[in-house]
Amino acid sequence: MLSSALSTFFAIPGLLLIVGAVLVPVLPKTLRSLYMLGLIGLSAAHIWGLERGIHMTAELAGLALVPVRTGELSLPFAVVFHIAAALNVIYALHKEKRRTLTAGFAYAGAAIAALYAGDFITLFIYWELTAFTSVILILAGQTPNSMTAAMRYLLLQVGSGVILLAGAALLWRSGAPLSVAALDAMTPAGMLILIAFGIKAAFPLVSDWLQDAYPEASPAGTVMLSAFTTKLAIFMLATCFAGFTPLIYIGAIMAVVTSFYAFIENDLRRALAYSLNGQLGLMVIGIGIGSALALNGAVAHAFASTLYQGLLFMAMGAVLHRTGTAKADALGGLSKFMPLTALFAAIGGACIASVPLFSGFATKSLTLGAAAKAGHEVMWLVLLFASVAALLHSGLRLSYQAFFAANADIDKQQPREAPRHMLLAMGLAAGLCLLIGIYPQPLYALLPHPVDYKLWDGGHVLGELQLLAFAVLGFIWALRKGLISPPQNRIVLNTDWFLRAAAKHVILDIARPLVRLFFIILGKSRDALMQLLTLSEETSRQSGLVSGIASTGAAAGIFLAVFAVMLLIRQIM
Amino acid sequence: MADKSKLAFRALIALCGVLLVGEFIIHRHAYFAFEATPLFFIILGPACLALMLVGGRILHLLVSRASDYYEEDGDA
Repeated sequence: MLSSALSTFFAIPGLLLIVGAVLVPVLPKTLRSLYMLGLIGLSAAHIWGLERGIHMTAELAGLALVPVRTGELSLPFAVVFHIAAALNVIYALHKEKRRTLTAGFAYAGAAIAALYAGDFITLFIYWELTAFTSVILILAGQTPNSMTAAMRYLLLQVGSGVILLAGAALLWRSGAPLSVAALDAMTPAGMLILIAFGIKAAFPLVSDWLQDAYPEASPAGTVMLSAFTTKLAIFMLATCFAGFTPLIYIGAIMAVVTSFYAFIENDLRRALAYSLNGQLGLMVIGIGIGSALALNGAVAHAFASTLYQGLLFMAMGAVLHRTGTAKADALGGLSKFMPLTALFAAIGGACIASVPLFSGFATKSLTLGAAAKAGHEVMWLVLLFASVAALLHSGLRLSYQAFFAANADIDKQQPREAPRHMLLAMGLAAGLCLLIGIYPQPLYALLPHPVDYKLWDGGHVLGELQLLAFAVLGFIWALRKGLISPPQNRIVLNTDWFLRAAAKHVILDIARPLVRLFFIILGKSRDALMQLLTLSEETSRQSGLVSGIASTGAAAGIFLAVFAVMLLIRQIM
Repeated sequence: MADKSKLAFRALIALCGVLLVGEFIIHRHAYFAFEATPLFFIILGPACLALMLVGGRILHLLVSRASDYYEEDGDA
């Protein structure tokens, strides 16, 4: 009986990691890593064997739930989530706090479980679990900034969950099934669910949590954060809203606007957060186009982006770990001291820029081809612009500012190369990025539709190389001519300004006078209030109007009777 | 280091030269009419760079603030 219950329990993908996280803080360091990697391996073996379809059903308060269902997109996302979880464990071997490791492990488990949620109620549970586990990673930064950023992060993440639940409630009320499947975004329920997904996918105006919070976590915490939440949202958008045309334009805005932000941001980990947001935009474009090739592109890109974006965050995390900063104005010349980290950052940069033979080229080309075949010429240009922009902000600028620009302070500091385990994690991620770039067929085999695209077309490769090589040449020329401003220790305002500054002014400038007005009115009506209090006192004293006609026990009995009738009416209604 | 930089730059110039020649040898399948313009991608790369430089400069003027901007208001 117990074994049957346990086997049913652990049949839920990801649950092994969520429950297994309980032991992470108590295990000794060496055993802990092996334990975590072992559980990830077991979980990966489990999801690999799951056929498409429903694997578990349940009933809760009359609602038919589907806790485990393998959709056509579940496997590629689950595979890359497991890879990311394993890389995170290796990367965080050094001095990472136990709470970061525990929360990160449960966070990965929740994200994996959400990929297999067959209904919106089950999804809501894992959706919120990803929020509560991931916020611990930000809090673990243990700086005043990380505390306030974590609260803002939680506000939006939990808000997303509440909106998702409201959408699910409307869906249930309309009589539609609660299953996670294609939805009409133009219905109230569909719109609410789209907004919930949009918050976690960092849509424009609700994206500030990403750039605000991710750079505030520890080096390993940021790497963990970069992998799951946003890709889970992409998975959900692709599952429920594929082909919803407005997503094309939302994605384009994400891709273009964040490029400029990433280019001028001084904090290189924050620049990477903007860059991640831009990459999400490219996936959203693919989902909006909605053809088989475009969906393949979005899913493949999500897969590759999890790895190369993680690689870039790992490299900057290693820089932060060794130098104590990730600010561009305080960095430079690190290639002498951290050559392998510089090499891995360059590989990440080449991937994000879609250089042929690197993973981004093998995945973004699918979306590019889909945009061209669908006749979206503007989106096709946006995708090309995004490639050049990514080359500039996450490839050339990031590498130049961190590793090649002159910096006497860094020369004096002489930081050491990243710890071996960080190098190992970066090396594995870089190897996978190259493998996907050179031989993408295994990844293509995981995609939801057969891949009908000629990647190694001579003209396509030539065009991409021309685009990027001449942009690099232009960058070097602009650098020599002083057209690229040196980094400054300044911040750039984003939509988080509304929460951090504007909301505060609203409270101070509008709410405070309102409160004052309330007390003035209260003062004017003080006499009336006093009369009311006197009357209340008279009626409730021992021989007063209420207590005078009934004993305390009788009064309680009357109250309970009224309450019982109310409950009965509520039940009947 | 300076020698390596020079070497890398020369390699880049050589690559650009090869890609320029490739423009006239390798046929590109154009999806859109404007894509068939000669040197399209060679011009588009630096054009995107110029857009990034100008757009970045304008955005910097609009939204860049001192690093203690939020602290001034008491926000940590």
